[in-house]
Amino acid sequence: MAEGPRHRLRLVSTLLIGLVLVIVAQLVQVQIVDHPFYEEWAKDQRVRPIMMAEPPRGTIRDRDGYLLAGNAVVYSIEATPAHVVGAEAAATALGSLLHMPAAHIQKLLEGEDLWVQIASPMSKEVGEQVAALELPGITVRSLWVREYPEGVLAAHVLGFCTVECMGFYGVEGFHDALLQPERVEWEGPVDTASEQIPWVVVPVVLPRPGTGLVLTLDRTVQALVEDELARSVQEYQAEGGTIIVMDPRTFEILALASLPSYEPGRYTDFFAHDPLPFEDPAVSHQYEPGSVFKVLTVAAALNVGLVTPETTYYDQGWIEVGGQVVENASRQAYGEQTVADILIESLNVGVAWLSMQMGPDTFYRYARAFGIGQPTGVDLAGEISGQLWLPGDCEHWYDSNLGTNSFGQGLAVTPLQMIAAVATVANDGARLRPHVVAQRIAPDGTVSTFQSVVEAQVLSPQTASQLAEMMVRVVEEGVPQAKVEGYRIAGKTGTAQIPIPGGYDKEGTIASFVGFGPVPDPQLIILVKLDRPKTSQWGSDTAARAFQRLAARLFVVLGIPPNSMEVAEAVGR
Amino acid sequence: MSDFMQWVTHGIKRGRFEVSPRTILYLAASVIALTLVATLYLMLVSQTAARGRHIEQLREELFRLQRENEQLEVEVARESSTPRLLERALDLGLDFAPAEQVEFLFPTAGDQ
Repeated sequence: MAEGPRHRLRLVSTLLIGLVLVIVAQLVQVQIVDHPFYEEWAKDQRVRPIMMAEPPRGTIRDRDGYLLAGNAVVYSIEATPAHVVGAEAAATALGSLLHMPAAHIQKLLEGEDLWVQIASPMSKEVGEQVAALELPGITVRSLWVREYPEGVLAAHVLGFCTVECMGFYGVEGFHDALLQPERVEWEGPVDTASEQIPWVVVPVVLPRPGTGLVLTLDRTVQALVEDELARSVQEYQAEGGTIIVMDPRTFEILALASLPSYEPGRYTDFFAHDPLPFEDPAVSHQYEPGSVFKVLTVAAALNVGLVTPETTYYDQGWIEVGGQVVENASRQAYGEQTVADILIESLNVGVAWLSMQMGPDTFYRYARAFGIGQPTGVDLAGEISGQLWLPGDCEHWYDSNLGTNSFGQGLAVTPLQMIAAVATVANDGARLRPHVVAQRIAPDGTVSTFQSVVEAQVLSPQTASQLAEMMVRVVEEGVPQAKVEGYRIAGKTGTAQIPIPGGYDKEGTIASFVGFGPVPDPQLIILVKLDRPKTSQWGSDTAARAFQRLAARLFVVLGIPPNSMEVAEAVGR
Repeated sequence: MSDFMQWVTHGIKRGRFEVSPRTILYLAASVIALTLVATLYLMLVSQTAARGRHIEQLREELFRLQRENEQLEVEVARESSTPRLLERALDLGLDFAPAEQVEFLFPTAGDQ
């Protein structure tokens, strides 16, 4: 071969080899050196988190399984404008179903946004009709909404759930973490419309619904309680009130109602109210209990063996405690009285005398043992601890507190604390933890039942029984308004002043009554508290009457026979 | 050598390459084996994809039924709610019974 062509051939070969080397070098760069970067880039484009359909929030039921809080479905109609084909036709079709102007929808579909929401929330029927159109670029997404089929019933016990499925107040708030469903996110390949491509077998990991709760509440009892509360507030022209019904043997809350109230399913309508009605006054508001507290003072004195129901003292109408004079509410002297009379006549001087005999250490030890000044531990959101100043607190506690505290002044309790303290007397002296959740039902069907928690054995059963009998005399001799025909009822009224800055309000009172029955085997305890009743300031004229009407109904509804029938049945055996 | 083999190998011969018929057979067998493996792989992948799609459909169906179930439960509860029942009972002329009109039955040991 001539030298010229050979030279050119070498040149071309060298160039070609050089070119191949460049390509190989580039390939090494892309395939090996930059491999992680390109792999990540490809993954970013192809793989997206795929949110599986959200499971429902746990349901809430009453003790008989009736649904109190469940879940309904609504739909959100959304669009990805880039994938919409025939915006005008799609807008016309959607407009007639959604009852929206087609021009407005068309404007949304032709917009620059990556994603637009056309309408939400839409009913199940409309959502299904839109889905049936199978319009490209239009998505119908299901959303859960919390439903309360009973309307306003048990609003304060239930609380409410926001559109974001966050629970607030009541059981919804306290057990929010339990009720929340378990979401499952999975990453997988998607197409250009972000729809999942089934290149691989998707994992069969299903999202789990929230844990279901069965409450101790009885919806029939709850309805009757709310009916009575509404009636009492209206009849006695009160500003509000609370009624709690418990089983003193287990401290299960059978019903709990407060006014003002709200409708959990329409909670947003109540944002304009001042004050907001969402907090449950039964656990989140405190009040001075007044004479109902005398039960606890007498209980302590009996239990330490300081007195018996027959022990006498001389009531001169006043007594000085820590430099402050304590008088009876009637401003009268009663002469020689027994300890039982202290409760029957509701004598401030008598309980102040008892507290002085006991001394602050014993008195406050029992007050704490009854749960005063500390949360009861109930499974409802927002429980406060009340207020009980102790002798060690130099800033707030004075020697005179011992006298005023003995008849429920200068300390504050929540209605639930007060009923739990008196229920201790009805339950042979044992204070349990009040509760509203009876069972938890896991998504796999596992049921866990609430186990009773004994907080303290405050009184001996003998003392509790003695005190219950004294409280029966209170109703029979002192507050006949609370008597229920055929049943032996134990109870105590309270008419408490309302503290305001600088003293006490002279205008209104908190009227209350706590009663249980049938003694000696109480199956029901009821607390009625009315705020600032105008027809009468006394608990005996207002709360005690409400108690009587409610107890008479509840004994029948709950199948609790009268004492007289029990005696007759026992004789007949 | 047959005409076919001559046709296949004439260029190789020209390039001074010699391929034995056995090698060609091996090559052909390898191609067939590769094709079979590829076909099996494709079948497996398509089956996997189909199975994945089926599972996804079943899951969607499950969620749809779950939604339907929850919705129906709420509707049933609404229809049998306390205010609704009370309203119906009062319409029927029923009223609350006082304790003295109620007969309490005490089961004896023999009844249990």
